[in-house]
Amino acid sequence: MTHVPQAFTRNSAILLSAGIGLRSQHYRDVLETRPTVGWFEVHSENYFGKGGAPLRYLEKIREDYPISLHGVGMSLGSVDALDGQHLAQLKGLMNRIEPGLVSEHLSWGSFGGDYLNDLAPLPYNEEALLHLAGRIAQVHDFLGRQILIENPSSYLEYEHSTYLEYEFLNELSRRTGCGILLDVNNVYVSCHNHGWDALDYLQGIAADRVGEIHLAGHTVNSVAGRDILIDTHDQKVCSEVWALYQTALRVIGTKPTLIEWDTDVPALSALIDEAQQANSHLGVRHELAA
Amino acid sequence: MNSLHETQRRFTNYALRGLGQDLVGEGIKSNGLTAQQRLAIYRNNTQLGLTEALRDGYPVVNKLVGTEFFNHLARSYIRRHPPKAGCLLSFGNQFADFIAAFEPAAGLPYLPDMARLEWCWHEAFHEADANPLAMSTLAKIDPAAYGKLGFTLHPSARLLASDYPILKIWESNQEDYEGDGRIDLDEGGCHLLIYRPKWDVVIILLPEAEYQFLNLLDMQLTLIQAVEQVTVKAPDFPVQAVLQRWLNSGLLTDIYYQQ
Repeated sequence: MTHVPQAFTRNSAILLSAGIGLRSQHYRDVLETRPTVGWFEVHSENYFGKGGAPLRYLEKIREDYPISLHGVGMSLGSVDALDGQHLAQLKGLMNRIEPGLVSEHLSWGSFGGDYLNDLAPLPYNEEALLHLAGRIAQVHDFLGRQILIENPSSYLEYEHSTYLEYEFLNELSRRTGCGILLDVNNVYVSCHNHGWDALDYLQGIAADRVGEIHLAGHTVNSVAGRDILIDTHDQKVCSEVWALYQTALRVIGTKPTLIEWDTDVPALSALIDEAQQANSHLGVRHELAA
Repeated sequence: MNSLHETQRRFTNYALRGLGQDLVGEGIKSNGLTAQQRLAIYRNNTQLGLTEALRDGYPVVNKLVGTEFFNHLARSYIRRHPPKAGCLLSFGNQFADFIAAFEPAAGLPYLPDMARLEWCWHEAFHEADANPLAMSTLAKIDPAAYGKLGFTLHPSARLLASDYPILKIWESNQEDYEGDGRIDLDEGGCHLLIYRPKWDVVIILLPEAEYQFLNLLDMQLTLIQAVEQVTVKAPDFPVQAVLQRWLNSGLLTDIYYQQ
């Protein structure tokens, strides 16, 4: 079936405001209540099907809200060749939805054609930098637009890393022109797990390259008597991350901000509350988003 | 120093299959935890994420075997058939065959067919949209071309036959089920059509002849050929009524003429 792209009356641009991660549990609620939310973000891969209800709902919601496409499966840092079908599906979805932003992760997730469905860590060295820069250039060429790259939550570091994570991201952005998606929860989680300095991270990241901020909840796990933070997206943004977010806004400036909650998803109203909290920090009156 | 290639090869083998524990920690900082403990967090995330993805696609299989057994089943499946794409829509496509060969599940002989039914449902849910065949198209059929006329089924249509009453078992495991849950496994099999007329997937119990007829149309036999075959065993097969039913229900979406 050929799909005729529709011209959305609503502009695709994501303005300075808080958005919400759109999950299937909330489709009907969003369409019925049309909440005052600036924009929605979805996991691109959930809409790679050929048709059916998910795409139908997304198109309906797109009629009233800008959409950001956030990928979790491109496996950018993998040594496997980029998956042409994946890229083609993403481009098809972009043509259909006309997203305001398109993003992926600073990670890898496959080897030998087997996928982990996870965001695995990269060594931050020259080899990885060259590799990723080449891959991002390929993606930029294919999609015909800039993508943002998100800092991951991580639970290990490689001895042969020669860059700090933010230096690596900055350099990647400088070489390829990609933007940076700064996940403040991930900064908090990784800094805790590795003993990095979060303020140093925020002051080091290239502020003018940051196009979006993510906020989410994490879980504290005890491993061998030590607290390890795991990026679970299954609860509210904690007060420490809200505080770090306010610091981030002071250090790098205000940016469109997403509330992510993917597991044990609460009622839409709980997400709207968090989005309004972000809006108040951004200095955005929530009526603006209506 | 490990190359990116070697790092990813070892990590993947460990996270998906638990292999190479002795070497996988090379080049990882300990910093308060051992490399093994750090890698175990990733292995656990991978296993959990993929197990939940599989459970999402097979809710009735999960109910029938229980969470713990399903976790065990999923772990074995992930080892043998990890995802082959970054998009998980096709992950789990060999689960039914895997269950059929999985010794500890042999006590539930209908389980592979239940998995097949749930996979048909999953595929139908994400398949392409298609409009019902327009009456105006039907009106334009040239009677002289009837011999070559064939019908196209909705892209989401899946036909499934089982030796077990899997539809009854499926229904009794739905949240809105109100029956007493008693099902006689010896009552015989069933013939099913699974498709998505608009946005919701439906599962329909078919008489055997009707199942065979739709299957023949789907295999691109012409209408006449399909009727000829079906009426060998079912001389009273109500062609008109069956065609009407599936035209009205959006299962038939196009016509074509065989060359």
